[in-house]
Formats: sequence, structure tokens, C-alpha cells
Amino acid sequence: MTASLEIKNVDVGFGPLNSRTEVLTNINLTVRRNEFVAIIGFSGSGKSTLMNLLAGIQRPDCGEVRMHGQVVTEPGPERGILFQNYSLLPWLSVFGNIELGVKQVFPNMSRSDRADYIQHYIQMVSLTGAERKRPGELSGGMRQRLSLARTLSMKPEVLLLDEPLSALDALTRANLQDEIVRIWEEDRRTVVMITNDVDEAVLMADRIVALTPGPKATLGESFPVTLDRPRDRTTLNFNPKFRVLRNHVTRYLTDLNHKAGQLRPTVDLTLPKLSPYEFTAV
Amino acid sequence: MSESRIEKLKYGLLKAIDVSGFRVLDPVVRLFFGEEPKKQAADVFKYLITPIAFVVLCLAAWTVIAPRHKTRSGEVPTPREVWAAFVVNDTLNDREDEKEADFQLSGEARMAAIARVREQLRVKEAESIQRKAELAVIKDRSEAEIQAALAPLQQAYDELKAKNTTEQDVRSSTIRQLAAAVAARIGSTDQLLTAIRDDNTKTEAEREAEKQIKDALSDVRSVPPKALKAAQLASNAVANEVQHLNKRLDYLESGNRDQKVVAAEQKTAVARQTLDTATTPAAVLAAAKSVVRGEETAARTAEQSYPRTATIWFQVRRSLFTVFVGFTMAAAIAIPVGILCGLNKVVMACLTPIISIFKPVSPVVWLLIFQIVVGAFFPDPESHPLFQFFGSLPLIGGLGVNPALIFSACTVAVCAVWPALVNTALGVSSIDRDHMNVARVLRLGLWTRLFRIIIPSSLPLVFAGLRISLGVGWMVLIAAEALSSSDGLGKFVWDEYQNGSSHSFANIIFACFVVGIIGFILDRIMILMQRSVSFDDGAAVV
Repeated sequence: MTASLEIKNVDVGFGPLNSRTEVLTNINLTVRRNEFVAIIGFSGSGKSTLMNLLAGIQRPDCGEVRMHGQVVTEPGPERGILFQNYSLLPWLSVFGNIELGVKQVFPNMSRSDRADYIQHYIQMVSLTGAERKRPGELSGGMRQRLSLARTLSMKPEVLLLDEPLSALDALTRANLQDEIVRIWEEDRRTVVMITNDVDEAVLMADRIVALTPGPKATLGESFPVTLDRPRDRTTLNFNPKFRVLRNHVTRYLTDLNHKAGQLRPTVDLTLPKLSPYEFTAV
Repeated sequence: MSESRIEKLKYGLLKAIDVSGFRVLDPVVRLFFGEEPKKQAADVFKYLITPIAFVVLCLAAWTVIAPRHKTRSGEVPTPREVWAAFVVNDTLNDREDEKEADFQLSGEARMAAIARVREQLRVKEAESIQRKAELAVIKDRSEAEIQAALAPLQQAYDELKAKNTTEQDVRSSTIRQLAAAVAARIGSTDQLLTAIRDDNTKTEAEREAEKQIKDALSDVRSVPPKALKAAQLASNAVANEVQHLNKRLDYLESGNRDQKVVAAEQKTAVARQTLDTATTPAAVLAAAKSVVRGEETAARTAEQSYPRTATIWFQVRRSLFTVFVGFTMAAAIAIPVGILCGLNKVVMACLTPIISIFKPVSPVVWLLIFQIVVGAFFPDPESHPLFQFFGSLPLIGGLGVNPALIFSACTVAVCAVWPALVNTALGVSSIDRDHMNVARVLRLGLWTRLFRIIIPSSLPLVFAGLRISLGVGWMVLIAAEALSSSDGLGKFVWDEYQNGSSHSFANIIFACFVVGIIGFILDRIMILMQRSVSFDDGAAVV
């Protein structure tokens, strides 16, 4: 299989040279064509930075990001990114938000074709009837679905999902997980998803890569998910393979966190000795 | 009406109230539709009735306090007098309208108008004579009353004066004797000094007593009886109307445009006859010149417009137009420059010193600068194509666009540009990073980025800035007009201040309310526009 997306020896940090904080060090990842990779890590480990690197919004300090062998220098519609906070334009309607991208990617499409095309994506994410609504009038789940429709409508070769479901409630989340997987199975392409939910990763991905806790986060062990598709979340819980994998990943992450805790310099704080002077229950 | 339609109407009304910023009326609407009457009634009382009561209280306090403060231009006017000033100014405007219409009438309509005005004049003149007679009677009666009130006071004054004079004479003769004694070295110096001191004190006291009676006398003289005052006002009002009707008649007859043209044409005809019969070359030449002159006069007269006196509503229209021109100029500069500043830190750095230095400059200074600069641009304003163009426009033509309007507008613009500029720059520079990332991922071009992301995102702040700008502009304009005597509300106030008649003070306070109310309406309009473009609360125009 050809490599769709490659990250080679990437380092990212911030701050002046003499007191530099390294966020990511020595990141290496190769994503095959049409592979669904989930990157799982703790909050604050630089997951979003990694996503920005893949999207091209941020440039690495050293190393490089390649897509189909070409070095990524700027963001573009061929790497569609689904932002954690939706990033919808509040002054445009549902239709307008999708249209903005479609117009840019398919400038030669006729007006009526474009309307049909957009309507198709609105239907795909079940937002029919809400075309003229503004994002402010939509619920969180609807907003993320709109965001998904906007990203998909640009026909990206690579789909980057930056914790797309973390702001949603459990039910909506499960719904959208199924929807994303369904859409992906209908029209396969390379997907990199960032998440902090092991179940989500196991349910959706072909491969799970752990990100060690920051600072100086790097990619850890990689776990292939060999469960058959389509995966049914109701029966999956009784699948021994699923349970083993989930426990395996969870234990690995817990160990990582434990080690990071040990590595962190611990400061013994002397707590003041306080006790109630007089304490009577009335 | 069905249930749902009533609900729809109710929420439509509530939304309209909310968007237009009259939230106070919210409980009234809810109460009208019978929603929680008890709560709404309490709210109406708290937030509507109480403020109204407070305003009424202020008016009452004003009515009581105002007459006690006497100034050079008379007493401070009461609300009633200010209202009267409104009525007078409004009537003045109506009368100007009538005269203008009369000036332009011709043919049958003119004859009909003449008949109507004559009839009115007949009635009013009769009334005027009657009023004058009444006034004379009341005047005599009140004169007698005043004399009756004055007589005892005058008598008391005369008596006191006579008594004081005698006493003063006695004292001064005593002092003279004492002085003679001291000179002859037989009297005591101390005694003389005491006598002089004593005399001074007594004289002072006597003068004080005289002054009190004198003040009482002048009070009686200066305050005319109420009946007299009322009769005078009534008589004046009728006399005023008679005068106005006479003026109208004048504009209908000899002052009428058509009549003037006819007169000029007749003159030309006579000159033509003279030309036909003239025999000497000199006479022919003179007659020919007179014909040409006559023709020119007729043509000019036909195009004449009525020389309107500037009434308050005219000044309001002119001020509004001036502020509109100035505000448009300010917005046209502030928005593009603000966007540039917000987008580019270098541009911002370049403009910061200019903004910082010119922002605090007083409007007065700008006014003087623009007066000089604009004056230099239009050495001969009458024949300048710009003003000729404005003069030919339908509505604006009557406002008299001149260099004074241009420099007032420039002053408004330069004072109003800063809030809009700074707010636009802030709005553009504080665009959500995520929105800019979307633009980057989509690889939007400059124009799409500008019109689809940057401008919509900063519009609420831009409008907040424009709203402040319009408020500043309106305030600056009135001051500029007052200072430069450029027609407008400011000039109205200034003229009233200068002419110092008994109505001036009331007119100034009336103008103060006009300025305030218009400023309030302008602000409301801007809030409405701001609300309609802001996407955060999803409010659309109703």
C-alpha cells in the first residue's frame, strides 16, 4: 500500500530559543491510503498541535509532513479538517456554510448543480429542513454534523478529525460515530482522528497510535484493530477480541501516565496545620 | 383570529420592541395579551409608570424653580413657555409655506386665494380693532390700579425723604458748629469725630429706609397686572395674524412671481414701442438697450424662488443633511482604513501616531482649519459646478448647499472618523482564529476572505463604532454651526442668543430639546442597524 500521509522526525516547540518548551519531539507516522488511524492521548499532550501540523495550519520546527510524497507547506481543501469547536461561520446559514467551501473547490459548477450537490450533503448528515438556519440556532450535534458536511463536501483526499465528538453528549456522540463510520465505509479515504476515548478509537479505527503525555510528547506503541467491519456497538461489548484490545490500550495508557507522573519532578509542599478552633454542631 | 396567530402577533411585537431597543414596553405588550397580569402590572408600574412620574416631577420642579432665577435675558422659561416657543416656531414655518405657495400661484388659483385672504383679513382686522379697544380699556384700568397702589407708597416716600432731609440738615449744622469750636480751640476734637461718625451711620440707615420704599415702588411699576399681560398677548397675536395676511396679499398681488413677470414684460413692450417710434440714433440705442434689459429681467424673474426665512424645521433638515454628509465621509474613510489597520500590524503601527495625535483635537480647531481650506477651494461658490449641481437636485437644492455646509460636514467627518476607525480595526483584528483557519483551509482569495469572513465577522463592532461616530458627529455639528454661522440648528441657537428678544431664551431651550430628540432618534436607528447585522444573538430585522 502507498503511504498517503507521512510525518518524519517532526519537532515542535514554542518560546524563545534559550527557554524553549518542546511540545512534540521525534514524531514519526505513516498512514496508508484509505486507512483509518486514531491517535489517542491525554489532554495537554499536543494532540491539536499534531492535527494542525497535518492540516498545514502550523509548520514543524524540524522534520516534515508529506502528503502523497509532497511536502505540506500550507493548509488546503484536499486535507479536510473537522475542528473540535466546529468553526462554523455564524453569519452564514447551513447552506451558506457549505456553499463557501464548495464554491472554492468546484468553481466551475453551475448554480443549480451546486445547489443539488450541497443539498446532497445536507441530506447525508440529516440536516434537511434546516438549510436556512444559522449555526446559532442549531444544537451541538447538528453543528458538528454541519461541520462534517462542510468538510466532506470539499471531497478531501484525507480527512482530519480533531476530537470531533468530545464536546457532545454520549448519545449524540454514539450517533455521530456511527454516521462517520457509515459515510467512510461508503466512500473510503484516509482518515486521521484524534480522540481521548479508547472505546471510540477501537470502534472506529483500523489502527490506534498512542501519544505519550507532554511535554516532549511523542508517538508510542501502535495497535492494529483487526475487528471485522461493520462493527456493531451493541454486540461489540461481548466480543472477546474487542475487550482484550480495549484493556490492552487502556493499560498501556495508564502505565504511560504513571511513568510520566514519576518523571515529573515532585515538590513536597508543606501544608499548614489547620484544625477548627471550636466546632459545635448546632 | 386563531390562537396561534395571536401568539405570532404577540411574539412579533415583542421582537420588534426588543430589536428597536424599547424594552420598557415589553410588559405592556405582555399585559395586553393577558400574560401573567399581576407580574406584568408590577413591571409596568416599576419600569414605566415610575420613570414617567419622575419625569413629570422634574417638569414640576422646573416650573417652580425657573421663574425664580432672573437673568439678563429675562426669567428662565418654564416648560409652558418652551412649549409656546415650539408652537410659535411651528406656526412660523407654516406661514412661510403659505407665503411660498402664494408667491408661486398664478391664474385662477391666485384670484381665488386673493379673495380668500381678503375675507380672512376683513374678519381679523375687525377682531384686531376690537382687541385693541379692549386692551386700551384694560390698560386705563390697570394704569389706575397701579396709580392707586403707587400713591400711598409715593406719599410715604416723600414724607420720609422730607423728614430725613431736615434731620440731616440739623446734624450737619451741629457738626459745623463743633468744627468752628475746635478751630477756635475751645471744643473737643473727639466730640467732633463722634458727631461725624454718628452722622454717617444715621445717613446710611435713612438711605436704606428710603431705598426699601423705592424698591416697592418700582416693583409695582414693573409688574403689569395679569389681565393686562393677557390682553396684550391676545392683541399682539391678532395683530400678528393681520400682518401675516397683509404679507400674503402682497405676495399674491404685486410680489407674486407671475405678476412680476407680467410687469417686466409690459415694461419691455413699452420699450419696444419707444424703439419703433424713436428717431435719433441715441434714442434708438437707449430704447433697444432697455428692451434687452427688460427681457433679461423677465427671464430672471420667472426663475426666481421665494426668499424663504430659515425656520426651525428648515434648520433641522439642513443639519440632518450636513451630518449625513459628514458621517458618510467619516464612514467611507474609517471602514477601509480600519480594515487595513486590523489586517496589517505595520499599517496599524504607521497610523497609531496619527490617530493618537489628531483624535483629541477640539472640533473648534478643525472647524477653523476647514473654513480656511474649503474657502480656498471655492473662491466663487455661486458659479462653482459642485454647488450648482447640488442646487439643481430636487430635495437637497432647497437646503442651500454652500461652502459653509461643506466645511461643517468636514469638521463632523474628521471628529467622527476616530471611533469608527478604532472599532473597525479592533473588530477586524479580533476575528476568531478558527474562522481564519477555515479561510486558510479553504484557500479563500483576498476578496472572498474579506467579504465572507473578515467584514461579516467585524460588522457588529464596526456598527458599534459607527454609532458612537454618529453621536459625536451630531454633537460636533451643532457646535460647528453655532460658531461658523453656517445654517442649521446651531445657527438657530446662536441667532437666538444674539438677538436677545423676550422669546430667545425659550427658543434656545426649545432648540435644546430638538437637538436632543433628533440625536436620540439617530442613535436608535444606529442600534437598529447594529442589531440587524449582529449574528451573535441571531436577531434579524423584523
